[in-house]
Amino acid sequence: MSDTISPKERLARKLGGKTSDRPPVICPGGMMNAAIVDVMNATGHTLPDAHHSKELMTELAEDVSRMTGFENFGIPFCMTVEAEVLGSEINYGTLECEPKIQKEKFATAADVVFPEMKAFDDNKRIQAIADTIHALSKKHPDTPVIGSLTGPISTAGSIIDPMTFLKQLRKDKENSHKVIDYVTDCLIHYAGLMAESGVDVISIADPTATGEILGPKMFDEYAVFYLNKLVDAIHKMGKPAIVHICGKMEAVKLSVAQLRSDALSVDAFVSLRDIKNLFPHINTMGNLSTIMLEFEDAEKVKKGTRVLLKNNIDIIAPACGLSTSTPIANINAFTETVKSPQ
Amino acid sequence: MAVSKEELYQKMSDAIVDMDEDLVAELSNEAVAQGLDAFEAIDKGLTPGMERAGQLFEEEEYFVPELLMCADAMNVGIDILKPHIKSDDTKVKRKAIIGVIEGDTHDIGKNLVKLMLETGGFDVIDVGRDIPAAEFVEKAKSEGAELICISTLMTTTMDAMADVITILEEQGIRDKFKVVVGGGPISQGFATKIGADGYSRNAAEAVRLAHKLFEE
Repeated sequence: MSDTISPKERLARKLGGKTSDRPPVICPGGMMNAAIVDVMNATGHTLPDAHHSKELMTELAEDVSRMTGFENFGIPFCMTVEAEVLGSEINYGTLECEPKIQKEKFATAADVVFPEMKAFDDNKRIQAIADTIHALSKKHPDTPVIGSLTGPISTAGSIIDPMTFLKQLRKDKENSHKVIDYVTDCLIHYAGLMAESGVDVISIADPTATGEILGPKMFDEYAVFYLNKLVDAIHKMGKPAIVHICGKMEAVKLSVAQLRSDALSVDAFVSLRDIKNLFPHINTMGNLSTIMLEFEDAEKVKKGTRVLLKNNIDIIAPACGLSTSTPIANINAFTETVKSPQ
Repeated sequence: MAVSKEELYQKMSDAIVDMDEDLVAELSNEAVAQGLDAFEAIDKGLTPGMERAGQLFEEEEYFVPELLMCADAMNVGIDILKPHIKSDDTKVKRKAIIGVIEGDTHDIGKNLVKLMLETGGFDVIDVGRDIPAAEFVEKAKSEGAELICISTLMTTTMDAMADVITILEEQGIRDKFKVVVGGGPISQGFATKIGADGYSRNAAEAVRLAHKLFEE
């Protein structure tokens, strides 16, 4: 069966709540980075070098899309760029291991120094990401380029010691709001650079902003408020936005429904079918278990994928960050099952 | 008029649940001023408060920020009372090593387990985050720990957890330690697969698991 519409149009239709021939199968990058070891070893375009060079980043993004079958490009390959610009110390990791925050820049919210937005324009990695988006969107007009952001709460928790930060959300609301509001403005600026470079979709993952960590009151006060501020600004740029919420959702189900993103991506143990039934206006995205993708065989993966298809999930994707040691055969079984379900 | 010591302990416990550092400090100082046994004040005042906070966390009445603030309040009390503990009161505690495995720097979960284990009577040595498997083993040996707790939030680093157990086996010392694992992507199935002694879903459950593993 040959596809009648391009991957880019299919994803745009789904994000716009329109009908389509079938759901797209994507992996947005950032927290959900699909640059797995199997791909890099086959092509020699490897991390951590590709975090810094636009040529390598472009080649690796192309390798990933071609070899995994995911119907998009997803960059960057980590969630440390924002914190790097704001001063935290980054460990760029290895081929197998994603970059991480080595040390947060500030001890408390009151200590945070707010640099000029220009710091984002001047950062070498941001420039490489913007150039890569530009190159990919010019070279592949039919494939959507997704730019991934680390959400406001997670970015704030990557520049302030996270244990202190979580307490200050209660104890020092004034400075907490000040920092998160500023961080959100930074993310809007960064999203603007992506939009100018020709990005098709912005995807936001905010793994610190879960109902399990924050509880419903603070999830509303901080996560929903600032994610919506960010999403509204992205909409003003004329781009759709995906939001991924980690963890169990029971405590914050009603709050999550207040998010104004164009699709909601969730963890493996959240029932997207329930979300669809409760909130028909939400475009659902997800949520094949990454544990299944890493440790089970291709037959199990196909079965799991068919369940998502049967439940009419709007956009099919992994449920969370993929392990870099996920076998390519499992990912192929995943993407091929979406493309030709029999 | 001085309150009875039972009332004072109850107030200390309540103040921890209420996350009220100032009140915990005031009450702890009062316990010292009254000449109460400092060990007993911790054991019957502060510890029950933190256990109640852990219970509320498990019931999803409290979340991470609240639990951390209760722990801060408890620590204020401990800092005041500890210097007054008579040395023959300090019973020998079981030692535990806790850390986040190499490749991961997320340590919120590890820190929660650490503070609940301490509340539960363990002497906990925190080796930090992004720690190689071999270092867990070396530290457990040199500290004379009996419990090794390994945490990760990233699926990428799960295999390194198994390495800790492999190293213990290679050195022929696997039976000297109990190894427990936890963190976002970990399940009981994974724990069983790598030969760990246990898995727990959250910090409060981790304490029950640790106690159970050392039951005679």
